Amino acid sequence: MSVATWVNDTLIRDPTERRIFAALAVITALLVVGVFAGVIGPRFLLFQVALVGMYALLSLGLNVQWGYAGLINFSVAAFWGLGAYSAALLTAPNSPLGMGLHPVFGFLAAIVVSALVAILIGIPTLRLREDYLAIASLGLAEVIRLIILNERQWTAGSSGISGIPSLLEWLPLTGAATTASIIVVLLAVSYLFLRRIHRSPWGRVLRTIRSDEDLAKALGKDTYRFKMQAFVVGSVVMAIAGAFYAHLNLYIDPSDLVPLTTFYIWIAVILGGTGSNRGAVVGAAVVIAIREGTRFLNDIAFIGNLGLDVAPLRLLFVGVLIILIMRYRQDGLLPPKDELIWPSAQKESSAASRGAAASDGGVVTDGTTSGGPSDGGKDQ
Amino acid sequence: MIPLQISPFQYIVNGVVFSSIIVLAAIGLSLVYSIADFANFAHGDLMTVGAFSGLFSVAIFRPMLGDMGLFGLPLWFFLALAFGMVAAAVIAVVTDRIIYQPMNDSGSIGLLITSIGVALVYRASIFLSFGSDSERYGVARQGPIPWIRESFGVAVTPRNLVVVILATVLVTGLHLTLTRTTLGRKMRATADNADLARVSGIRTDEVIIAMWLIGGALAAAGGVFLGLEELVRPRMGFDILLIVFAAVILGGIGSVYGAMLGGLVIGMVHELVPLFNQWGIIPVGSRYAAAVAFVIMVAILLVKPSGIVGESG
Repeated sequence: MSVATWVNDTLIRDPTERRIFAALAVITALLVVGVFAGVIGPRFLLFQVALVGMYALLSLGLNVQWGYAGLINFSVAAFWGLGAYSAALLTAPNSPLGMGLHPVFGFLAAIVVSALVAILIGIPTLRLREDYLAIASLGLAEVIRLIILNERQWTAGSSGISGIPSLLEWLPLTGAATTASIIVVLLAVSYLFLRRIHRSPWGRVLRTIRSDEDLAKALGKDTYRFKMQAFVVGSVVMAIAGAFYAHLNLYIDPSDLVPLTTFYIWIAVILGGTGSNRGAVVGAAVVIAIREGTRFLNDIAFIGNLGLDVAPLRLLFVGVLIILIMRYRQDGLLPPKDELIWPSAQKESSAASRGAAASDGGVVTDGTTSGGPSDGGKDQ
Repeated sequence: MIPLQISPFQYIVNGVVFSSIIVLAAIGLSLVYSIADFANFAHGDLMTVGAFSGLFSVAIFRPMLGDMGLFGLPLWFFLALAFGMVAAAVIAVVTDRIIYQPMNDSGSIGLLITSIGVALVYRASIFLSFGSDSERYGVARQGPIPWIRESFGVAVTPRNLVVVILATVLVTGLHLTLTRTTLGRKMRATADNADLARVSGIRTDEVIIAMWLIGGALAAAGGVFLGLEELVRPRMGFDILLIVFAAVILGGIGSVYGAMLGGLVIGMVHELVPLFNQWGIIPVGSRYAAAVAFVIMVAILLVKPSGIVGESG
């Protein structure tokens, strides 16, 4: 399918999405113009792109857990931290372990460690009501943070680890451009992989579990196993994002392991549209805009003169945002619709719905999606 | 390192004091869990709101009352406690009316996520009005009560005693309310089965308001006591929330009496961690007290997910 038809089918048909993507295009254009006009430093912009990419990766990971399977994971920051610390400890020559290994081993360690921890926390909680996982995962995050903070002999504690090597330094690009390209590739691969498994029978079972776990059980599915797999996959994606961050920032300390980091990712996912991978990416960009944008508030003379501290204002804004999304737009900006459907089926259905001049709801009801026992997606 | 020679009984005294605080917080959390049916992540920050409301009122009551004392503490402290409890109770009800009630149909998970937003709004408001520094109520430092020290060899300050006695009074009051009054019976009926309660003619709306009032007031009492024993910090409530959740889960989600028992056990364990470490039972010290409480919670989830008292789940 050509890009033009894809754009036509998915973007133009839905007026809300058209507006959202138009807004994104305008902002992107402004940023590019800003770089050429010399207002925004290219290195700064590339660093922000890398940050957005990393947040998008974290959001994709959480989307597998919360969006696909309905698992409430409040330990996003912890899995991110496990990844970052795995990479930092193994690759930085002056880390307490002092091994200075190749970054590949850091990424491998991040994957293995996060998968093991996810299984350990999943065993007691995934058989129970979903809110137990919420509480237990928040606790897990706190334990991991305490261990990293207190076990100075292994983790360097609050002084953090510096001297983490950059990735792929042999590439003929600047450092910022290299990391930005790496995250774009990582993100694209993860996106395609996660979209593929979301559309697979495995993904359909997860969506069924999310909307009605008893139904999935009645259909003979071992829901515990599926939830565990989703939990592990999501956690591993988060750890990869963490390992990437270690090589992006070249320094890591436990201060980012606080629950607030987790809540930022939650906003990205629910704002973007629970269950939607596109939404997770857009949500991540919005969250970075909030985080980085509020930093410049103090530079504006008017606000600087008020003598306000920006950090609590940002906290207030984030809190209000969570409440407003949950109350007024639980579907988020880009709720999952067409992306759950195989491209070939989508073509038929969009042709059908255009013929019948039906609304976009037509694609869900016209039977081409009946491969799964339930369309799932949104049960709240 | 040679451990400081502290009598084991001293840890138990500390445990009783800390447990009192956890029990107060756990009751409110458990009430919300059973009646409003969601895990309220804003409960810890509600404690903070109560503690800071009390702090705010100190500036009013202290000049009015001067040095008048009661049970070894200044009288204004008790008024500040009452003020904090009323303020948190009102804020809890208002929050429910304007935020939770209108989205009652979004289910327990929707409310859970919303409560995170509420928690952040509470905390941000405290940061904005009181700054980010740690504060004190300004109760003068007190030595241990001499006769207790001489006869039992443990240090108990008047404020320890006041915390434990007032917590006991509040918990007893709640127990009597739940068992002897019509409101209490309505609350228990609603907690058991809200639909059945409604068709039986119970105005569940009133019950929900009463629940938030009681839960908010008890959370504030816990917050003020925590501020009295330690410091009044903007993060105090959120930092302790996990331990409170551990207590609620240990007791069995939704069971008020389970929450009391769970609070007692978790509070005790939290303070006994250094002693256990000294005895070689566990390999970690007091820095991991919260982690130990959490591990106990996970262990309980594995063995008996319904908790030690409750049967819902």
